[in-house]
Amino acid sequence: MKLELGNIIIHDIQFGNVSKVEKGIIYINKNELGALLSEDENIKSVSFEIARPGERIRILPVKDVIEPRIKVSGRGGIFPGMIAKVDTVGSGRTNVLKGAAVVTAGKIVGFQEGIIDMSGPGAEYTPFSKLNNLVVICEPVPGLAQHAHEKAVRLAGLKAAAYLGNLGKDIDADEVEIFETPSLKEGILKYPELPRVAYVQMLQTQGLLHDTYVYGVDMKQSLTTILYPTELMDGAVVSGNCVSACDKNTTYHHLNNPVVRDLYAKHGKELNFTGVIITNENVYLADKERSSDWSAKLAELLGVDGVIISQEGFGNPDTDLIMNCKKIEAKGIKTVIITDEYAGRDGASQSLADADASADAVVTGGNANMLIKLPPMEKVIGHIEAADVIAGGFDGSLKSDGSIEVELQVITGATNELGFNRLSAR
Amino acid sequence: MILLTNNPKVQMGEKIFCDKEFVEGSYRDVLIAVRDKIHKGHRLLSHPLSGSVKPNETPYKSVIISRNSAGMDLDSLKIIEDSIAAYDKFMQNSMKYGYNNQESLLADFSEIDYRLIKAALDSASCR
Repeated sequence: MKLELGNIIIHDIQFGNVSKVEKGIIYINKNELGALLSEDENIKSVSFEIARPGERIRILPVKDVIEPRIKVSGRGGIFPGMIAKVDTVGSGRTNVLKGAAVVTAGKIVGFQEGIIDMSGPGAEYTPFSKLNNLVVICEPVPGLAQHAHEKAVRLAGLKAAAYLGNLGKDIDADEVEIFETPSLKEGILKYPELPRVAYVQMLQTQGLLHDTYVYGVDMKQSLTTILYPTELMDGAVVSGNCVSACDKNTTYHHLNNPVVRDLYAKHGKELNFTGVIITNENVYLADKERSSDWSAKLAELLGVDGVIISQEGFGNPDTDLIMNCKKIEAKGIKTVIITDEYAGRDGASQSLADADASADAVVTGGNANMLIKLPPMEKVIGHIEAADVIAGGFDGSLKSDGSIEVELQVITGATNELGFNRLSAR
Repeated sequence: MILLTNNPKVQMGEKIFCDKEFVEGSYRDVLIAVRDKIHKGHRLLSHPLSGSVKPNETPYKSVIISRNSAGMDLDSLKIIEDSIAAYDKFMQNSMKYGYNNQESLLADFSEIDYRLIKAALDSASCR
């Protein structure tokens, strides 16, 4: 399967009379986009804000971040099974508005979370501070239940991203990247001497506010399965995960998965990147046993020499992570796991809730308990009072001058377990 | 299957059909009650650290275990002991949202715990 990504570099977003992309600027007709999103009967009203890199803006609570993309050729549409019809994506040509994102914000439950600071010390911890963001704030109809509210916001974000992506359909790309994965047989014949490597991506699937969708299927109801890596780039996997801001995978992460990109960069040179095994992180322990059995079985079936395993979330998924690692190692396949840590504010406590001697190659996204001070911003988009009741915030986090003292876990993407981080110890 | 919970919404839940034992106490008290059952030979069926809502944030916890008891299951014991250790680590810096009796927050924490254990029960019932 072969996919061309046409990157259209975006320098700015502005509101305008006609929605279009021109000379690297996205112009948005607010009324038109607002009318589109308000078609959902569960949404009472929608408002929009723009947040640019370097501006003194704080966005909270952030639900999802989504990159605008459009299928130019090839099968299917972006976000198949969600807002496009079900069809296998990942081939042909996709245009990307690179440097822009849709950010959905709003309170679904009282302790909601996720901060993006566009400048200051907090901005260094989130990759989304470097993007031109269209923030979509959806107000639900009164009395809407949490699960329906989450779904309405999730779909509004996807629709807004697709609306913006569509503006780039006929624009000449500034750069083109090509990603190709051969069939198993072709790969073995083409690269007989290279080690075969697969990527095992664990997806958050515990329940309300902790879900992930694959071609529209709630992944907690699926067995472990296989994707071509390019399917991820066309939105086959979509986030419905609104909890644990620092180490959840937003839809933007799924579209731009750095493990996939790094494996492609070495594909055909140092290794043969055979594909992506996606698995879940259910609460029911028998599901964990079954799913990790299947991860190991599919890795064996692919005939790989090594896998990279990425986790999503903390606690319950630590058990899935170690099960995947142990069972794949037991097949004689080398593993590297990517996780993050809740090691206490001093970093001295046990990092994970599970461990095993076979997990001997570990990459960390950082310590989510670390305390950080965020100075006041000129403008807050969303709900500033959420700071006291945000995961990683605490009673008294919000100071009278508007600054907040919180744990790193409040910042969207700060300790991401795909390695999509701005800071490293390298 | 037996459900141990300190969440009134789960205890009262009309759509939750298994046997329930209400624990009058904290999140930690539920974990300890589960550990005691594991000592008596019950097996753990759902993960005690379900949910990304941290132990120092939510006051509610629901866990399902096997109805039958046999010899002590060491995998269950390891998971519950690791979970209690993780709970104690988080409580060194309690954020106490739910513990501050903020009504709207308590309702949301209760709803999340209910939904997560319902997802586990749905898995259990259709297998």
